[in-house]
Amino acid sequence: MKRQDTLEISGVTVRFQGLTAIDSVTESLVSGEILGLIGPNGAGKTTLVNVVSGFQKPTEGSVLLNGRTTGAETPHSLRRRGVARTFQAGRLFREMSVLENVAVAGVGMGRTRAAAHAEAMELLDWIGLAPKANLIAGALPYTDERRVGIARALMQSPHFVLLDEPAAGMSDLECDELMRLVRDIRDRFGCGVLLIEHNMRVVMEVCERIHVLDSGRTIAQGKPEAVRNDPAVIEAYLGGG
Amino acid sequence: MEPNSPFQRTLREFWPLLILSALVTAVVVIIQAFGDPIVSRSLTEALIRLVVVVALFIFIGNSGLMSFGHIAFMMIGAYATAWQTMPVMTKGIFAPGLPEYLLQNSHHWIPATLIGGVAASVVALVAGLALMRLSGIAASIGTFAFLMVFYSFYLQWSTWTAGQSSLVGLPMTTTPWVGLVFSLVAIAVAFFYARSRFGLALRASREDAVAAQASGVNVQVQRLIAFVVSAFLCGLAGGLYGHFLGLLTVDTFYLPLTFITIAMLVVGGMNSLSGAVVGTLFVSFAIEILRVLERGVTVGVPVKLPANSAEVGLGIILLLVLIFRRTGITRNQEIYWPWKPVVSVSSVTRRQS
Ligand SMILES: Nc1ncnc2c1ncn2[C@@H]1O[C@H](COP(=O)(O)OP(=O)(O)O)[C@@H](O)[C@H]1O
Ligand SMILES: [Mg+2]
Repeated sequence: MKRQDTLEISGVTVRFQGLTAIDSVTESLVSGEILGLIGPNGAGKTTLVNVVSGFQKPTEGSVLLNGRTTGAETPHSLRRRGVARTFQAGRLFREMSVLENVAVAGVGMGRTRAAAHAEAMELLDWIGLAPKANLIAGALPYTDERRVGIARALMQSPHFVLLDEPAAGMSDLECDELMRLVRDIRDRFGCGVLLIEHNMRVVMEVCERIHVLDSGRTIAQGKPEAVRNDPAVIEAYLGGG
Repeated sequence: MEPNSPFQRTLREFWPLLILSALVTAVVVIIQAFGDPIVSRSLTEALIRLVVVVALFIFIGNSGLMSFGHIAFMMIGAYATAWQTMPVMTKGIFAPGLPEYLLQNSHHWIPATLIGGVAASVVALVAGLALMRLSGIAASIGTFAFLMVFYSFYLQWSTWTAGQSSLVGLPMTTTPWVGLVFSLVAIAVAFFYARSRFGLALRASREDAVAAQASGVNVQVQRLIAFVVSAFLCGLAGGLYGHFLGLLTVDTFYLPLTFITIAMLVVGGMNSLSGAVVGTLFVSFAIEILRVLERGVTVGVPVKLPANSAEVGLGIILLLVLIFRRTGITRNQEIYWPWKPVVSVSSVTRRQS
């Protein structure tokens, strides 16, 4: 039987000086699940990803990976323990090749250069970027940039992948393609996926469960149909413009 | 030959190493063929500096952090080597504080130089545990403070270093050929480091430290590895320098040498090994010409530049590069395989930079 990994976010609060970016948020994610995280700009989605990936210490609450708190982990040690993420801004290593961008995650986790290159090439092939492996990452169009970021996060088969608005700025067609990719990720790697996305239609389609944040607070949590018809969600999305 | 044969791929991958080694070797062979002893000494000095600049590239080029402290590693290596190689007679006079074993024995310069390199890297390991936590401008200032501390300390430590005066009587073993061998070793170390997994991880942190951490890279450890490796090479260069000059003075290892070696790297292009090599050769050559003009020559009409023109010239070259070509002569690229590569999907080889 496949191993079940769990990631629990337990009562996490993050405050920046006066501002409460996240307010006692609780959520959990298991292997093979796709969880959507939505909410207007500034709702605290990225901050939550920062907490889970070890870049931001929570003011209160904790994150548990397979039952063990991650409070003492650094971003790189969490990555080694199987929590990978992408960045809203892409954050590719711009002066390096596409292949090297992905391979970095392999050597970062202690693989040899040759092994990292081989695995990176395999992933690029799978994600459809093999012909661009030797291009400089800074020269890629943004749709490819996102894919490289995702491939980088998938090196060494993480248990959990946190995708921070991978489809931002994409056309509907590009969005659909990306969502197919998100499903493929789950199917191929068996990992849990946290998908942050702005486009409601897209999230509803691909996610099994959805968590809605507004001003740091959880305003809805559950199945897509229930969330879609939740008055608080409608208010946050339509009321806020 | 098949256009993309394994042999060609390998050749292309190692091309920067081959071409840079060939370039430096050719320069040495040609200059030695003329046999001018003064030029030959300048050449040796340039080769020692080349080792330092390549060492600087290993750290600065791959990490993106500036270091003003590496000349201290050169000093540590220079003295550690001299303590072993000086004749027993002079040691007792100039460095009476040395331990009994060193006072009674004198060693061959090759193992002594290697030990000097190790001494520098041990200091780098300890200092780096603190320094590598810093980033950006704080890291630069930290390395500068490190240079100041060691410079002042060695000045005061006169029973070992002769303080304000000099350790003399070092065997003059550093010929241009010795300089060449160590330069080639330094170039090879830098090349293989840069293409290793450590070099790849560190360059990633240079591009984006946050994304590197998110990729599992322990940035601090990777910086420390490069710091230690580059300190080792600087230590070797220090050992060579003592045995080139025949005497050691603490003052040698301070701001002018720091400035000139960093200028060489910047002029060549900080982020490439080719930049380190080309920059050193170019700046050494330019300084040499200016020095000749300072002494005065007659080319139709007599030309004589005022003293210190070399320093002024170097400053101007550096400013021009910073203003007009920040990526240096090489534009931060390696010297490429001269023929158009056949793009291949399965090829996992690419330029290293
Ligand atoms: N490092 C920080 N320091 C101060 N405020 C921050 C910081 N990071 C985020 N914030 C604030 O926290 C709130 C949530 O931001 P973020 O998590 O980026 O939202 P989202 O990703 O949902 O758009 C915003 O008001 C933002 O300005
Ligand atoms: Mg965000």
